[in-house]
Amino acid sequence: MNSSTVNSKPSDPEPLIDLHHVVKVYKGLAGSVTALNGIDLKVFQGEFLVVTGKSGSGKTTLVNIITGLDRSTSGDIWVAGTPLHRLGPEKASRLRGKMMGVVFQSFELLPTLTVLQNVILPMDFAQRYSLREQRQRALYLLEQVDIVEHAKKLPAALSGGQQQRLAIARAMANDPAILVADEPTGSLDSATAKAVIDIFEDLAQQGRTVLMVTHDKDIAKRGSRMITLLDGEIVHTEKEEGSHA
Amino acid sequence: MLKPRWYKVINDLFGNKTRTVLIVLSMAVGLFAIGIILSARSILSEGLTQSFASIAPSSGTVRTAEPFDEDFLESVRSMDAVQQADARRSITARVEVRPGEWKNITIFVFADYDDIRVNKVASQDGAWPPPEREILIERAALSVIDAQVGNIILVKFPNDTQREMRIAGAAYDPAQLPAQLDGTPYGYITFDTLEWFGEDYGFNELHVIATNPEDKDWAQQVVNRVKDKAEKSGYTIPLSMTAEPGQLPMDDVLQGILLLMGFLGVLSLFLSIFLVVNTVSALLAQQKRQIGVMKAVGGSTVQILGMYLVMVISYGVLALLVAIPLGMQGARALSQTLAVYFNFDLLSMDIPVSAILLQIVIGLVLPVLASLLPFITSLRISAAEAMSTYTMGKGRFGKNWIDRLLSGSNLWFARKASIRSILLSVRNTFRNKSRLALTLITLTLGSATFISVFNVRASLTSTVNDMIQWFNCDAILTFDRPYRSEKVQQEALTVPGITDTDIWLQFSARRVRPDKSESGMMYMFAPTIGDSSLIRSPAIAEGRWLLPDDDNAVVVPSALFQDEPDLKVGKEIVLKVYGKEHSFKIVGTYVGTAFGTIIYSNYSYVAKVTDRVGEADALMVRTQAQDAASVKAESNALEEHLERTGVGVSTVSTLQNERAEAEVIFDAIVSLLLVMAVLLALVGGLGLMGTMSINVLERTREIGVLRAIGAPNRGVAQVFILEGIAIGLLSWLMGSLLAIPMSHGLNQALGGAMMGVSLTYSYSMPGLWLWLVIVIFLSALASFIPARNASRLTVREVLAYE
Repeated sequence: MNSSTVNSKPSDPEPLIDLHHVVKVYKGLAGSVTALNGIDLKVFQGEFLVVTGKSGSGKTTLVNIITGLDRSTSGDIWVAGTPLHRLGPEKASRLRGKMMGVVFQSFELLPTLTVLQNVILPMDFAQRYSLREQRQRALYLLEQVDIVEHAKKLPAALSGGQQQRLAIARAMANDPAILVADEPTGSLDSATAKAVIDIFEDLAQQGRTVLMVTHDKDIAKRGSRMITLLDGEIVHTEKEEGSHA
Repeated sequence: MLKPRWYKVINDLFGNKTRTVLIVLSMAVGLFAIGIILSARSILSEGLTQSFASIAPSSGTVRTAEPFDEDFLESVRSMDAVQQADARRSITARVEVRPGEWKNITIFVFADYDDIRVNKVASQDGAWPPPEREILIERAALSVIDAQVGNIILVKFPNDTQREMRIAGAAYDPAQLPAQLDGTPYGYITFDTLEWFGEDYGFNELHVIATNPEDKDWAQQVVNRVKDKAEKSGYTIPLSMTAEPGQLPMDDVLQGILLLMGFLGVLSLFLSIFLVVNTVSALLAQQKRQIGVMKAVGGSTVQILGMYLVMVISYGVLALLVAIPLGMQGARALSQTLAVYFNFDLLSMDIPVSAILLQIVIGLVLPVLASLLPFITSLRISAAEAMSTYTMGKGRFGKNWIDRLLSGSNLWFARKASIRSILLSVRNTFRNKSRLALTLITLTLGSATFISVFNVRASLTSTVNDMIQWFNCDAILTFDRPYRSEKVQQEALTVPGITDTDIWLQFSARRVRPDKSESGMMYMFAPTIGDSSLIRSPAIAEGRWLLPDDDNAVVVPSALFQDEPDLKVGKEIVLKVYGKEHSFKIVGTYVGTAFGTIIYSNYSYVAKVTDRVGEADALMVRTQAQDAASVKAESNALEEHLERTGVGVSTVSTLQNERAEAEVIFDAIVSLLLVMAVLLALVGGLGLMGTMSINVLERTREIGVLRAIGAPNRGVAQVFILEGIAIGLLSWLMGSLLAIPMSHGLNQALGGAMMGVSLTYSYSMPGLWLWLVIVIFLSALASFIPARNASRLTVREVLAYE
């Protein structure tokens, strides 16, 4: 799949993710650090948004705020019409479980659960499927990412690429509308990274909204839109046609 | 099929076996200690009471100077207030335990050994009843006279008749003070054997059970009625006493032990709580990242909390599986040991269900409650923070005054000496202050308890010293009847090695209360005051000792005020002596045990009011030699000389013997304390091991950096071992200070239970230094394994660690 086939025009005029002047300040011994400095961002359904920037630009912080893994200092965050900024950690967790799947650079798999159990875990928490359905769905997802034959193994027995595929399968467990990936290819070689990005593109083509953080320019070009962060601000936006926002 | 979250719990439990074993052991040790204490307390409290009740214990005893027969016994049995009565002959004889060395022995004579109705005696081993011209020895007394069943012993009666007798068997007589504690052996013969010794037939002791034996006041009235009946029948009553209902001999020692066990049980509980909190905090620290992941994939706090609560409960269950059976065995062993000590057979060793249930509740509920705070604290962290890639610290070190104290220009000497690794260890110790605090609390409590045990032991020794140091003599002889004091002293001084002598009067007395009721039997000792250097003031708890010009002054034991609460220093006390009432004034109390109430008064006054001027009931002597063997030899020589001059000697006691007997009583308590101290030290050590393991795990990346910049394996291990030792030393320091009030509390509790007053405080320096050595060893050991594991990881492994 390449960018030319992506329909960048949102099918739903309402943004799926809507950020209004989001600020995040970290306080430490050395003083306060403003990681996000008034971010305004809209992400529409079906978009494959890539977030780039140098180290310390605020990419991961932005992703954490959007997914509810962290709370903003100020500003509004709307996800699928729900005011995430007003939700407590519990409700944010539940929203995340149902609406979002998160993929991390270091995979973050639970080492004492098998491949299959890692995929089932989010379904267990969300309690949307019966036990039998959870297992069937997990096997299906593992098939989709081409590692079903490793279902009974522990994550440590898989290669880096296979672990990231597993992480993607886990992220898809509850059929989320939004898939968020923070440096998903950071720990992978180029061939494996390409394969992983292919999966993300497929998912985007299926109508899911994909939000990916990367500092790899080649990978960044695979998205339908790219924003660049610098010192906590969006300094550049680029759509697939090549025109600037 | 289980849900994956429960698979995670199971896999976490059994996947890391070392951690699971450590956590389970930490919980199990505390539960084990609690189980032993709860169960042993229950077995002892109930079992000993049942055992004692089974012997038909007497409400009181009346001794007559003249022998009486079955007719009088039957008349006592027919009294309405008497439920049951029995009679025996009681004789204080001497037995030769080694050539030339004699010991007092109390010999009982029963008419029918198969029909003993009160204070029952039973067969333990060998013949029953004792055959003619043979003797049974109480089972606990065999070791006291260094003999066995079948041995031949030489027994001498007060009428000077000596006979060789075979020990035909052992008897079990739990109504007597345990011989190994009292130092007095007991023997049992028939009236035929008594006749063989040249003594007449007849009883001289009545043992009665009142109709309502649980009522002590009533029991005392009944005993007084029996005494009055005996006196009206023409018998002289030199002794009568009322027993505490249901209380076995040495009950106050037992109560002291039970009190200690209760205290140690509570302490174990607290230590367990701290250990669990520390362990769970450490566990959650290890699992922080995974908790973040579970939150990231949609896990709610309640769901995640549920998982870890189940894990903690599982640890509790595993700990209970270890602790309950071991605790039961330990409780039985401890109970049996104490029963042997008190010379009792426990009728039941059943572990009370309540103790098991309480252990279960403590084992399951307490870890959950203790874990809630660390759970809630850790679950409050955002998922992002929980999953943040581990760095070599969060940059918080250096913020507070402790950190600043340990760094920078304060440590100018570090520039001159090669102590960087020590500095690193010391600073590392203070990086996680909350974990350090929890570990320190556990270790400090263990330290304080261990040191306090030694302090209590030293205090017991000081107390015994205080109790006998007022006897500035080497031996005390009591006579079978009063003799002229001048004669016995003159004769004593003719014996080689005897350098000084003094005498006293001793007789039984009873307090007459304002309502005219009488107390149980007490003893009055009337030494000469001021004329002799052989008696000094005892440790005075309140008021003063006697003065040479005192007339009706008395000094009473501190424990008396527990039984007679209306008395106090400065108040009058009316004592009935030889049937007449005399008024005295209490001028002071002394530190004394509750083993018999002994009241001291001035010889000159007491002899005058009792018409006994110039008489002596006992003789104190000082010997030239001071070693135990020589004192004993000279005392024996003195006894033989006095016997030859017609002075009948009932008992001979050396002060070394008295000290040894007093210390034997306390030894059981000290042994128990030591066992518990070792357990608590173990709990503390496990806590430290857990902390150090987690410290190593958390700083694995840091270890990689140390190795990457050239630190050798030994250097890496050294940092952690020194850190462990630093924690141990801190706990020793804090524990040595906490031991001061803790020891005071223990002294107060123990002394109060046994003597009505605190033990004489003493701080044991040997105990302090011994614990220092132990804690350094424990700390190094607790840190060694995690440190060694850390030093063995490759640099690549640790830097790739997530």
